[in-house]
Amino acid sequence: MSTDSTLAPSVATAGNVVRHRWRRLAADRWALAGAAVVVVFLVVACAAPLICALEGQDPYTYHLGALADSGVPTGFGGGISADHWFGVEPTTGRDLFAVVVYGTRTSIVVGVVATAVSVLIGVVVGSSAGFFGGWYDRLVSRVIDVLLGFPWLVFVIALGAIAPAGFPKPVLLVGVLALLFGWPSIARVTRGQAMALKRRTFVVASTALGAGPWHVLLRQVLPNLSATIIVYATMLVPGMIGAEAALSFLGVGVPPPTPAWGRSIGDAVSWVQTDPMFLGFPGAALFLATLSFNLLGDGLRDVLDPKSKGLSR
Amino acid sequence: MKRTNIVGAVAFAAVVTMAGCNANPKDAAGPGGSTTAVHKGGTLTILTAASDVNFDPAKSQTLATTSLGLVLRRLTTWDIEPGKPAKVVPDLATDTGRASDGGKTWTFTLKDGLKYADGTAITAADVKYGVERSFAPELSGGLSYHKSLLVGGADYKGPYAGGDLSSIDTPDPRTIVFHLKTSYGDWPWIASMPAFTPVPKAKDDPKTYAQHPVASGPYQVASYQQGVAVKLTRNPNWDAHSDPVRTGGPDQVVFQLGQDTTVQAQRLIADFGADKSAFGAGFVPPAQLVQVQQNAAAKQRLVTSDAGALAYLAINTQRGPLKDLKVRQAIEYAVDKRAFQVASGGAIGGDLATTLITPGIAGRAEYNLYPADPTGDVAKAKQLLSEAGQPSLNLTLLSQNDQQSLAQAQAVQQGLQRAGITVTIKPVDETAWTAAATGDQGDYDLTVSSWQPDFPSANGNIQPLFASNQIGGGGYNLSRYSQPEVDTLIDQATAETDPAKAQALWAQADKRILQDAPVVPLIYTKNSFLHGSNVQNFFVASFPAYPNYLKVSLKQR
Repeated sequence: MSTDSTLAPSVATAGNVVRHRWRRLAADRWALAGAAVVVVFLVVACAAPLICALEGQDPYTYHLGALADSGVPTGFGGGISADHWFGVEPTTGRDLFAVVVYGTRTSIVVGVVATAVSVLIGVVVGSSAGFFGGWYDRLVSRVIDVLLGFPWLVFVIALGAIAPAGFPKPVLLVGVLALLFGWPSIARVTRGQAMALKRRTFVVASTALGAGPWHVLLRQVLPNLSATIIVYATMLVPGMIGAEAALSFLGVGVPPPTPAWGRSIGDAVSWVQTDPMFLGFPGAALFLATLSFNLLGDGLRDVLDPKSKGLSR
Repeated sequence: MKRTNIVGAVAFAAVVTMAGCNANPKDAAGPGGSTTAVHKGGTLTILTAASDVNFDPAKSQTLATTSLGLVLRRLTTWDIEPGKPAKVVPDLATDTGRASDGGKTWTFTLKDGLKYADGTAITAADVKYGVERSFAPELSGGLSYHKSLLVGGADYKGPYAGGDLSSIDTPDPRTIVFHLKTSYGDWPWIASMPAFTPVPKAKDDPKTYAQHPVASGPYQVASYQQGVAVKLTRNPNWDAHSDPVRTGGPDQVVFQLGQDTTVQAQRLIADFGADKSAFGAGFVPPAQLVQVQQNAAAKQRLVTSDAGALAYLAINTQRGPLKDLKVRQAIEYAVDKRAFQVASGGAIGGDLATTLITPGIAGRAEYNLYPADPTGDVAKAKQLLSEAGQPSLNLTLLSQNDQQSLAQAQAVQQGLQRAGITVTIKPVDETAWTAAATGDQGDYDLTVSSWQPDFPSANGNIQPLFASNQIGGGGYNLSRYSQPEVDTLIDQATAETDPAKAQALWAQADKRILQDAPVVPLIYTKNSFLHGSNVQNFFVASFPAYPNYLKVSLKQR
């Protein structure tokens, strides 16, 4: 963060600050563990086909031979074997490891892209509203109020029913999550920050020296928002992943057979007494993903926000 | 006409209001399958996924032996006993109808002294009015076999707009005469359908009749809370001596609405408290079937029907490449029926199907036009596709979005994928499915459905699904199949009054239709139901594949 006494931090100080922050982050074991798991999930999402090739399975092929006639997997733990590392799905015999790995891709892609779109819209709208003020600010604030109180889940369910079959579902999901659910909270925070920054002396000085409003917004205000934005974005990802899983659970997510954790969990609920591992693996994956993003976000906030002392862990 | 939703009736049972269907316990001696003396008293609870029980006879597609039958009587009804074939028997009428004019005129006489719950007399004019109002557009959605059979039915718009229907005579308060366009030997079965319920004109309000019907059966509607519960209490004016099939065991019947089939099954497996006196109207889902198999106590209370409805994949014969017979034949070979069967619960969910007429229907001929392994013949399918010049295809499969339907849709999808046919599943809710599948547009390539005949005749298997006049407009010709030769066969078979000759014609039509491959027969579904330990006389006979609500009673406590 810049202080009021400097117009802009020098290169040398910026380098020091970054090093200092790294040290603080490295000292936070929980955040590091979160970061490591996040990296693993990102790698799994990118390399899903390669990882499944290691196992020699894909998430679409039925293996009815691995099931009893009633549709329940034969063998220990839902059919865990050298061929099927997480066992198989009941009634289909699809490889559960491949389903979870490809489900990672769905969750991470929807979660990260929806977050990116939310952050982009939220920062542009929020910072401009806070900085320029006036009727534009009042209009934006009311829109944010409406969207924050909007029953978006109900809306998404209804929208899923009327969207034409040809419209790609992931795009619809990202669009709805970002436009209805994600950006308003980001916009509200950046708006508040931008309003505060606009009265800081280095901004006032910059204006006094003849800088135009766009220069001030882009060069003075936005860089000082970056820490807040990074923390909020990291914390928004698990929210988005959870929302996508909720929609899949309700049957309005990506259409089958594209794997999605939420749908696997929804299918697994009725099998919990006869094949608990079917719920266990996708459930654990969802839990780990949201937990690790939250831990990382927490750690980043401690490091980037000088006012927070950080939790003593 | 009734469309049943295989093992997962979830959403479906709702609309069709716990359709009932067929009952023939696998082991007639087994508990749940047997009958004992009826003990009167107690409160019977029926768990249903529906949010509504529609008691308007004009709008109902229910079978004679399920929910509506508890409250409303018809001219004729069904006598369903375990281990015996279904029989049509007199209900309000003294016999099952007297044919004259070669089967074109049918006369019924009402029993003497019949009364509604409010004490007023049931008259032939009320039956006539009940049939007439089923023609009204605002009360559409009910079984409609009679509409195309009655003279003048095609143009009649119901009593609210079009006066009365002149092809129904009521020469005196106890006599009613129907004049048909063609001779029709199965008319006694038609007269058991909901529309042949008496409706007193003075009490008719089409907006509220579905919740407050005037009762003629052993029970009347005491309270109706949409989405929560419907409570039936005894009808003081029901005369047991005039009613050969209803036993009227429990003092009260309560429908608990909005109980998901998984919830129903879990409650009945637990068999706790009031649920001991309950049964589930929905089919037990595959996951709970597995659970029941591992629970000896619950297994005693599971009743599974014989193979009843036909589950099939409808191919929209009016869409692009699907107009080509070779492509449709390729689909016949490419489908993985075994995977579909497992997705439906395995052998307890149904038997593999090859014909359109379902087992247990008189005159059914077993044949297989597309012999292949249960998992399909991919090489043959690929060969047919390349002969047709369509080595790769992209198709949309319209599916209901409940778990069971989606599992089945995916089983079809992966089967076709092996032959290079890429299928995109479009999941929609049950109402949207019905609108899209039975509407005029036909904007889908494939869809999975299942069909239980509304009366035990091959007519009920074939005509509603394959006659060209059943395309769109609410009809269930989901393949949009139009073949003049088949239409002629259907007309001939319908008009044939000699059962043996009619059955031969239906068997001929069955085979002729599958030569054109408009549908892929997947399985003959078996429906499994659970009941509480205090429930007696709960059985499923060979037709229909649903329990007989009219005879269920409770143990003395």
